Amino acid sequence: MKKAFKELGHYLDVTIQVIKMAFLTIVEYPANIAGWMISNPIQFIVGFATIKFVVESFGEINGWNYGQLAFLYGLSVMSHALSMIFFVQGWFMGYFVLEGDFDRYLTRPMSVLYQFFFTNINIFGITDLIPGILVFVYGCIKCAVQVTPFFVLQVLVMLIGATLIRGGIYIFLGSTSFYTKSTTDFGMYTQEIMDKTTLYPISMYPESLQFILTYLIPIGWVSFYPVSSLLGIENSVLNGMVVPFVTLLVGLLVITLSGLFFKAGLKKYESAGN
Amino acid sequence: MIDVVNLCKDYTLKRKEPGLKGAFKGLVNPGIEKIHAVADLSFHIDAGEIVGFIGPNGAGKSTTIKMMSGILTPSSGSVLINGADITKHRKEVVRNIGVVFGQRTQLNWDLRLGESFELLKHIYQIDQKDYDRTIDELDSILGIKEIINQPVRQMSLGQRVKGDLVASMLHSPKVLFLDEPTIGLDVSSKYALRKFIKEINKLRQTTVILTTHDLGDIQELCERLIIINHGVMMEDGNLSEIVDRIAPYKTLVVEFYDEKAPEANFCEMIEHSGNIAKYKFMKKDTTAADIIADLSKRQTIKDVSIEEAGIDDIIKIAYGH
Repeated sequence: MKKAFKELGHYLDVTIQVIKMAFLTIVEYPANIAGWMISNPIQFIVGFATIKFVVESFGEINGWNYGQLAFLYGLSVMSHALSMIFFVQGWFMGYFVLEGDFDRYLTRPMSVLYQFFFTNINIFGITDLIPGILVFVYGCIKCAVQVTPFFVLQVLVMLIGATLIRGGIYIFLGSTSFYTKSTTDFGMYTQEIMDKTTLYPISMYPESLQFILTYLIPIGWVSFYPVSSLLGIENSVLNGMVVPFVTLLVGLLVITLSGLFFKAGLKKYESAGN
Repeated sequence: MIDVVNLCKDYTLKRKEPGLKGAFKGLVNPGIEKIHAVADLSFHIDAGEIVGFIGPNGAGKSTTIKMMSGILTPSSGSVLINGADITKHRKEVVRNIGVVFGQRTQLNWDLRLGESFELLKHIYQIDQKDYDRTIDELDSILGIKEIINQPVRQMSLGQRVKGDLVASMLHSPKVLFLDEPTIGLDVSSKYALRKFIKEINKLRQTTVILTTHDLGDIQELCERLIIINHGVMMEDGNLSEIVDRIAPYKTLVVEFYDEKAPEANFCEMIEHSGNIAKYKFMKKDTTAADIIADLSKRQTIKDVSIEEAGIDDIIKIAYGH
């Protein structure tokens, strides 16, 4: 137990250091951050404006009104932003595998996956977080949500769970490079799929697709189910206050399985010739 | 210190036939070929040794050194460092090793060099006192403090390799692995690197294992050589013993005053052009002095020089097998 705490302390200490370094990098390249600051929020604000237009034209989407959609959209963008901060590196895992960039992580006394994600921590992801929070707060106001401590806890828990699900999916897709020995850049596809399935209620899709998104690729748990629960919108799978915690469980499950898949892949790692 | 026991590494290679037809054939029935990159390698290295791994490209040197440093998982066999298996206990065992791969860097490209050191300080949990002392010590050998505030992206290759060497030694590892460390370096950087390796080996008794194609590295650094070809050990032993055994001869180059070059006892004239002749002789048969004495009876000698069978001859012979 004491050893586990010591180890946790070690990882926290290194995490603080890598965050410091990430900020130093930003200072080194100020033009970059300015670019992201402008382009990222615009991307999501425009996306949200589209929803607004659709809802205003048709009244609602699959029984979800404008405020509820804003709530869903905001939370989804927030977990997207968090996954961009901590796990975006997973999109580029193939390049690391083929170019032998895991060498340096393997020769250091820490978890390879931890080093892979955290020494490349993407502080720029914060620029996604801001529009997420704005739209979410707007949704809360529109829906007249009662902000109780339990509500805040539920939101935090589901955000952690949702981030872990996203991260787990990135790890899983990235790890396939160990087996295929090719660099497929999954980033674009993942982003497309994730956007289409988490920014809107998946109940608008055919049932077979809903089944896949619930049980096979558990993207439904990233936003649709927990948000339905938070807003008290009925669905056919799972209702009640427990759903955000189920999201966390699903997240832990997905990231654990992906981690094992990664670990098995790492045994096949071939580095790169000189 | 290090025990390598029956180490093997196989790769599977899909044999591809040419053309579209071949590609389809490969899809249905991939001809899988097993390649033994390293086959049944066993040796022991004592603390404080400097061991050079040599062999032609693709011989399995890098694969071996990568398995020894925990990067690649062996197909079978094991690598024990201080008695612990690096594959099974990677996180604990790698605390004892440092790694520098000539063409790779573990430094953060965007930031000043010191920032990369700072990160390693946290990763290896080095306390400030030890860290300062190590930096001072390494500075006295390599002069690292001059470049510690320079961004890594603006460094020359020589400076960057210096930075990587210091980075690999910050946690005072007992074993240092170097994969072609001098590749691409200019003469003075090579010199500094060799001096560094010798110094840390002397001061800290660091065991050094390096692969190289540079004959100077071998001559100046390695007492022991391990020669690998096709993943199999060809030679393992003391550098001078290997030289004596594989190339037990020297070559005497003699310049005469005219173009006639006489024969001499116990040696063979292997080349003759103009005033210059080359005589190859076995070290056990005779000495250069005897041959010179013998020759000078028959002709007037202007100048002589002796060519030792160098490490390049050794390598040529060893690779030829």
